[in-house]
Amino acid sequence: MARILTVDDSNSLRRMVAFTLKQAGHEVVQAVDGSDGLVKIREQKIDLALVDVNMPSMGGIEMVTEMRKLPEYAKTPILMLTTESSDEKKQEGRQAGATGWIVKPFSPEQLLGIVEKVLGRTSPA
Amino acid sequence: MANLFAKRPGTPDSPPVIPGFEHIKRYWDPSRNLHVAKLLPGEYYISMRGEMITTVLGSCISACIRDRKLGIGGMNHFMLPHSARLDDWGGSSSSARYGSYAMEKLINEILKAGGRRENLEVKAFGGGRIVSGMTDVGRKNIAFLHEFLQIEGLRLTAEDMGSLHPRKVNFFPDSGRVQVKKLRSMHNDTIVQRESRYMEELVEAPVQGNVELF
Repeated sequence: MARILTVDDSNSLRRMVAFTLKQAGHEVVQAVDGSDGLVKIREQKIDLALVDVNMPSMGGIEMVTEMRKLPEYAKTPILMLTTESSDEKKQEGRQAGATGWIVKPFSPEQLLGIVEKVLGRTSPA
Repeated sequence: MANLFAKRPGTPDSPPVIPGFEHIKRYWDPSRNLHVAKLLPGEYYISMRGEMITTVLGSCISACIRDRKLGIGGMNHFMLPHSARLDDWGGSSSSARYGSYAMEKLINEILKAGGRRENLEVKAFGGGRIVSGMTDVGRKNIAFLHEFLQIEGLRLTAEDMGSLHPRKVNFFPDSGRVQVKKLRSMHNDTIVQRESRYMEELVEAPVQGNVELF
């Protein structure tokens, strides 16, 4: 079980993600944009972040950049979850420090598969 | 010798297309004196420069969404795939995932172009029961749209959905004006065939994008 942050300005998307992750036994923290996400990760330590790219107030790339500056989140997996599929955007995400890139739409199985994979990578043996 | 392919005099250049929408069919309508983008099932388009967006709907839905302060807006054209597997996905069916995606793509493009979520207004059309006896896919599409808008807190300022007619919808994103023409059933064959093909494509193509780990 992990504590996972989902950051998206769309209610319905956050609902789908939260529902899927909770079914798999994870704890879910929600944030509505990048700046809200940065507040939430300071309130509690999270094990994984799923972050949208285009959001009002603060977008996902900027949030990842800020998150990576915090020592406790230097190695936490961060997956971008977005409708953006261009290589330029992906490169931006990669340079900001994202762990991976998921292009919407996604299936519940696909989401859980990638979540388990990146959590397994970082959890202590 | 005259170039037969030369532009007819008096036809203004099309406004530049927003990257990603190059495949959408656009043409100059001399009687309306404006550029028109024509959507097929599964497509969407946004415009910032006085174009008209048009489509023909049977049981499919089109949402016309715009930032009412900036006059940036667009239209989509979608239906929910018929899914045998109704796994619960946040309180809605897995097929609703497809509808959410169609709505979200359109909204995201408007926000990327400078629109703001709190200024968005939504008008929705279609969802007709154009084939009698067939399961009412139109009604399912309408129910999805209402639920989606409620969850997202978006306002529906006008709608013309349901009943038995196909519809032709013209949307003017700069003013927000919409023209709806209910079509007679004699035109239905093309619409039904086009929508059936679209439905088959939806069933065949899994609703998921790519995953890449860096």
